[in-house]
Amino acid sequence: MKSLKSKDTYIPLLLLLTTFLSACHDSPEYPNNLYGNFDALWEIVDTRYCFLDEKELDWDEIGRTYREKITPETTPTELFFICADMLDELKDGHVNLSSRFTTSYYREWWTDYPQDFSLRTLEENYLEFNWLSTSGIMYKQLPGEIAYMYYPSFSTPVGETSLDYILAILHNSRGLIIDIRDNGGGLLTNIDTFIGRFIDKEINGGYISHKTGPGHNDFSEPYPITYKPAKEGRVKWTGPIILLTNRSCYSAANSFASVMKSLPNVKVVGARTGGGGGLPFTSEIPIGWGVRFSASPIYNEKMECIEFGIDPSQGCEVHSPTEQLAEGKDAILDFAIDQLKDLPLPEKN
Amino acid sequence: MNINYSKIFYSSEKRKIAFVGAMLFLMLFPAWIKGESTDSLAGAGSSRPVTGIYSFEIGRTDVLATYLSPLHYTGAQYGVTGEWSKAMPFNPESAVMHFDGGLNFCSLLNPAHTARMLGFTGDFRWGMSWKTTLPYQLTLTAGGSVGLNGGAYYLMRNSNNPVQAMAQAALSLRGSIARPFTIGRLPILVRDVVSIPTVSAFFAPQYGETYYEIYLGNHSGLAHAGWWGNNFCIDNRLTVALDFGRTAMTLGYHFQAQTQWANHLNTKIFTHSFIIGIVPGGLGLKPKAKKADRPTVYSLF
Repeated sequence: MKSLKSKDTYIPLLLLLTTFLSACHDSPEYPNNLYGNFDALWEIVDTRYCFLDEKELDWDEIGRTYREKITPETTPTELFFICADMLDELKDGHVNLSSRFTTSYYREWWTDYPQDFSLRTLEENYLEFNWLSTSGIMYKQLPGEIAYMYYPSFSTPVGETSLDYILAILHNSRGLIIDIRDNGGGLLTNIDTFIGRFIDKEINGGYISHKTGPGHNDFSEPYPITYKPAKEGRVKWTGPIILLTNRSCYSAANSFASVMKSLPNVKVVGARTGGGGGLPFTSEIPIGWGVRFSASPIYNEKMECIEFGIDPSQGCEVHSPTEQLAEGKDAILDFAIDQLKDLPLPEKN
Repeated sequence: MNINYSKIFYSSEKRKIAFVGAMLFLMLFPAWIKGESTDSLAGAGSSRPVTGIYSFEIGRTDVLATYLSPLHYTGAQYGVTGEWSKAMPFNPESAVMHFDGGLNFCSLLNPAHTARMLGFTGDFRWGMSWKTTLPYQLTLTAGGSVGLNGGAYYLMRNSNNPVQAMAQAALSLRGSIARPFTIGRLPILVRDVVSIPTVSAFFAPQYGETYYEIYLGNHSGLAHAGWWGNNFCIDNRLTVALDFGRTAMTLGYHFQAQTQWANHLNTKIFTHSFIIGIVPGGLGLKPKAKKADRPTVYSLF
């Protein structure tokens, strides 16, 4: 009978423990109403966004300002735009609020700057509507034995074999121009594929950090991002390289520009990139809208934040005015060609 | 007489340590405790069939995984489980070895039904228990197990935080209570099995760390030593088995709770499932027409 009594009290204790221990660490939960959704969004940014201090933002004040715009008559659609306007204060192209009817997007990181690029001008006047293409890369040897490749998006995976063919076909050139203008980013792993072809030993191309807690300064120790040379047998490029950039180079393209700029045989020509130096996370608020935001900052090899863009190499800031582009002249590309045209051809093996 | 559990749990630190130590001792050495008191059934003279219970589960899961989302995801859960047990030769009346395994899939939605989460998990436990018979035909087992469980919850809308990976190795306390009844001439066995991990090692991503950074090689802060304060789990299975002789059918309820707190991330997974299963060979409750040559020791009662 003693054992039975023990069992009688053991089970309630177990149930109590389950309730007690599982409730030890409650996370804030917000109601699905106007203020609940707004507060949930504000807290996500407050606890998880990684550039509040770099951008010197008073997030408390910003939250108060936009919360005051909500009234009991505010419709969900109006709430969306109040929330979107608050997120725009972050001035971050990686920040979006997504609903079933639209996705908010901060565009000023590129709309307030010259475009410095026209695909039509490139295709018509420099590639003469005649180029090779693989893995999303358009490439051709330009007149004067100058190798050229245009990579418009890091979202397209770059195959190692494709890169072998491209570099082998272009190898007898004075220099290589890699054009990433208007490249809005994509997969960071594509950077490894490219960089491996341009180095002969492992390099430190930058650092990455992440938030370790909800505080604005809760960050991990920066972790080095290393790049290894491509495997033996792959085709490499050891000659001079010019990377063409404009303001619309963002995210992975921005990171690529940062790493390329650190290589001794590379010059960055064009305009400052758009930035996007934080890897984005996604979260959501009770109404079901998704929110994307920068969560994990990336730094260059000198531990400088790359969120605000990568400048061209010294003396290499060039712009391609719209009127010249309309006339078929790309000043950035012309500048790069001028830099390479008098260089010697590589010695034949 | 009621036991004052608050006194047990909150008296002195020494008592707490002694309590945890005693539980670990019971968990790891159940057979040894009873090892010297084997009776005439011991050894190769008895028949010790493996009792295997194969079940299908369907239920409802609630997942909160703040690495992925601050919202609860709920939806249907499906699982297949197997539970095998056998009396041990060195002490067949008291020592039972058991192996439990299960695979689960769930498809969940957020409260607004605007995003879907898919979960794939599996768990495997091996252990030993000590069995004793109490008055009123109650059979009690107490023991422990070592186990692995893991899986992933995939939130399809997310960018660089698409998956909450789950992995855990644990030493668990395991106990069961069973009692046979009859309805008319049909023998049934009512049984409740509880398993509670005590100490464990588990994986949790860092608060804002991307899998890209983990891929780069930054593995610091991902593995955690677990105890009830940061990793409390419970697995409770209440079943009624109808023993038809050559086979048995089980019906029941399965409750699983898994809670983790690490790196400021909260993970809570609660599952309630209905179980239906079969036991090939039956439970041994129904009297055999022909008397066996040697005694048979069943593991469940």
